[in-house]
Amino acid sequence: MKNKSLDEMQISVRNKIGNQTYILLLYLLLLDIGLHGFGITWLAYPANIMLLVTLCSSVYVIRLIKENAFVGPVPDKHKPVTKALLTGIVAVLTALVMLFVMNTFGTPEIPKTADIAAPILLITAAVGISISLLVSIIKHRQNKE
Amino acid sequence: MVKNLRLKSARAAKDMSQKDLSFAVGVTRQTINAIENGDYNPTINLCISICKALGKTLDELFWEEEDNEK
Repeated sequence: MKNKSLDEMQISVRNKIGNQTYILLLYLLLLDIGLHGFGITWLAYPANIMLLVTLCSSVYVIRLIKENAFVGPVPDKHKPVTKALLTGIVAVLTALVMLFVMNTFGTPEIPKTADIAAPILLITAAVGISISLLVSIIKHRQNKE
Repeated sequence: MVKNLRLKSARAAKDMSQKDLSFAVGVTRQTINAIENGDYNPTINLCISICKALGKTLDELFWEEEDNEK
């Protein structure tokens, strides 16, 4: 996020959304503690905190983008196509390098992780994809004159 | 908050779009739109920048007179 390039209205909006999201996280954590106190465990310990934090982060980012406080005023010189192309090239190169390293040195032994890791990864990926879709829809709507 | 119609008319008189004005003063188009609609109260620095970009004084653009603004 280019915080320095935000204009004054965007900064005030960002601060307001940040405060509200912080309070939301606080209430959700308190609710979680309360449920735990009543003997209800809706998710095991590390995963519940991570899920709440991920949820609040998602809410924060989506609201920032919706209220147009994510990217500051930038001149039209920057073309996102070039940036996307460069990102794609870097991703392909990284994958090729990883494949080359794995073929050369063999795959390392992956330690067995906790059973909760797979759902966390799945949820994180799903949230990431949902955010990307929402961002593209919101930006498309905002840029309509 | 009341709409700032004087800003809108001054911008239109200079044949500038909201995007042109926002580019001139270094803010987003949405900020200019919010100021014109009375949804955002700009700082004095932004007011001065807008006045300079439109060739007007602070009084001409931002001074609220009781009889026609309230």
